[in-house]
Amino acid sequence: MALLDVSGYKHHSSSQFGFKQTHLLDRLNHYSFGTKSPEFAVPVGVDPSKFLKSCSGEDGVCIDLNHGTTTLAFKFRHGVIVAVDSRASAGKYIASQDVDKVIEINPYLLGTMSGSAADCQYWERLLAKECRLYKLRNKERISVSAASKLLCNMMLGYRGMGLSIGSMICGWDKQGPGLYYVDDNGTRLSGRMFSTGCGNSYAYGVVDSGYREDMTVEEAYELGRRGIAHATHRDAYSGGVVNLYHMQEDGWIKVCKEDVSELIHRYKKGMF
Amino acid sequence: MALQDVCGLQEPPLFSQWTAPLSHFFMPENTSHLNGGWSHGEDCSSWMPRGGGMSPLEFYMPVAEYLTESPLRFGQTNLISSSTNLLTVDHLRPSLPSISLPTLTPCSISPGVPLPFTLSHGTTTLGFAFQGGVIAAADTRSSCKGLVACPSSPKILPIHSHLVGTTSGTSADCALWKRILARELRLYQLRHRRRLSTGGAAKLLSHMLHPFKGTELCVAATLCGWDGETGEDEVTERYANTQASEKKNINTQREASNSRSQSEVSSGATTQPITGDDKNAMSVASRDATKNYSSVVLSRVSGPRVVYVCSDGLCLQGKLFSVGSGSPYAYSILDSSVYWGMSVEEATLVAREAVYRATHMDAYSGNNVDLYHVTAKGWRRRQREDLKEEYYKEKERERKSVEERKTEETMMVK
Repeated sequence: MALLDVSGYKHHSSSQFGFKQTHLLDRLNHYSFGTKSPEFAVPVGVDPSKFLKSCSGEDGVCIDLNHGTTTLAFKFRHGVIVAVDSRASAGKYIASQDVDKVIEINPYLLGTMSGSAADCQYWERLLAKECRLYKLRNKERISVSAASKLLCNMMLGYRGMGLSIGSMICGWDKQGPGLYYVDDNGTRLSGRMFSTGCGNSYAYGVVDSGYREDMTVEEAYELGRRGIAHATHRDAYSGGVVNLYHMQEDGWIKVCKEDVSELIHRYKKGMF
Repeated sequence: MALQDVCGLQEPPLFSQWTAPLSHFFMPENTSHLNGGWSHGEDCSSWMPRGGGMSPLEFYMPVAEYLTESPLRFGQTNLISSSTNLLTVDHLRPSLPSISLPTLTPCSISPGVPLPFTLSHGTTTLGFAFQGGVIAAADTRSSCKGLVACPSSPKILPIHSHLVGTTSGTSADCALWKRILARELRLYQLRHRRRLSTGGAAKLLSHMLHPFKGTELCVAATLCGWDGETGEDEVTERYANTQASEKKNINTQREASNSRSQSEVSSGATTQPITGDDKNAMSVASRDATKNYSSVVLSRVSGPRVVYVCSDGLCLQGKLFSVGSGSPYAYSILDSSVYWGMSVEEATLVAREAVYRATHMDAYSGNNVDLYHVTAKGWRRRQREDLKEEYYKEKERERKSVEERKTEETMMVK
């Protein structure tokens, strides 16, 4: 089983147990919480999917799981640009203007977060742990494809139970720059450019328009900044500062952290 | 009543019914207007005020029962139906009680007029003002949920020579209300010998749509027009005089912009009152004190104007609007590239690019792009362009630049 290999499970330690399914018992997977049979851990007596259905009806409470943020990432000649905003909102209240929405998994892997802040932070830290374990077991870095697959499978295990994550896994591995979009439905897509969150449509417009395959590095930085700045200008749930990362062959670098109001002011100077 | 004034309502004797209390129209005896001797197909005309003695903005508020009938009956002629039939249960469809219809329409605000299917409002339209006039652009796809009903529908409808309106929402509603608005503006023009301003037209439209608030009417229009007269009317000349004396710097700016876009702006009477009266600046100075208020108000009289009107009753004036499901994609491009001093070519390119990107990303927008440019001379329509061509042209350009880069590199290596 591919998952077995990725997790670096060593066959010999399973001698005391029996057959295929109980193999997983041995490894106290963090997210099985010591369950007897191989299943994902869910609190006893709770049926999350039924609970969620009751919350999405017209009458009664409506829990709207929106991904309130804007993040974008695109591949180009010189690597991958990752740009995110930094606003955390709770309904119509801005909880924080200075949230870190990029998790630095390892010097060659970045994960962005959009959706429920708690879910993103927890599951991506879990992903970071798995990537580290992989490296220790196999003495080589995990590929971007495998890392995104790990996250995707975690999401599939809890599908329909109310997780809310829209994440992009970006990195540079043996195949070159890699960019995958993973979300709480279990969608996993490889692509050249993605933008997540409720401000994504605004970012798509400006980045699509300005994207060239042969951009210089500075142009790419500017495009990433512009995408987030214009999205925060129009979307109420995005704002704060632009955190810009550049994934290069020898690792990622953090390019800048600029306030969006300053950026918009600069772009709009002399416009009207 | 301000609305009466706008429509140029004359003395009471001519429009006696308007001054009657509104409840007059809800009286049962009035239902004879609606049902007497008409075939069902003529019902749509009941929404339009008839000619003759009726006042221009009178609305036939339909009988309450009319609203609770299923719209599935609209297309079916039922010549026997009289007012009494409407009150009884519909025998043809006994399973449909009057108000509590099944949830075909989860988004139905009022239980009054249930829709036979969920309407989707998919489009991208935009309008912005700049020194050379107003650009209005839209895609041409009419969608009905997942079906492309028409790949070449015109979403920008000219209302009069200096005003175009972009439409978004239900196509039928938009087309109808545009026609009503065009008629009202024409009547205004005939009565007052001047065109109603864009702001006035927007206010008129918003007030006309207000009675339907809470129903399923959905119209989101951007009125893009050029206000300002050609100097025929002495009233506007006087206003322009005070404008010249009070706001001289604005005039020089406008003159400068006029001279820059000489080909677009008419060299006619629009500029004459302003330039000619520079000499008279001193003579009108004495009138300035009394005309202060008017100059402040009327400094906004002339020029490009964009107003957004929506069937919720919203009426917003601004410099840049984009409406529809594809609007977020267009907004970011417009936000970054539109500025007051841009040239007409630049503005056209930006508008095209914005619609193109929106159609690229939004499933409900697509096919072609329509572009209208409104100046002091009136509106001008650009040739309709197919965006598929644009997509392939862009791919071609990309491919060429990649190849060029490759050859450059190999040359540099050598």
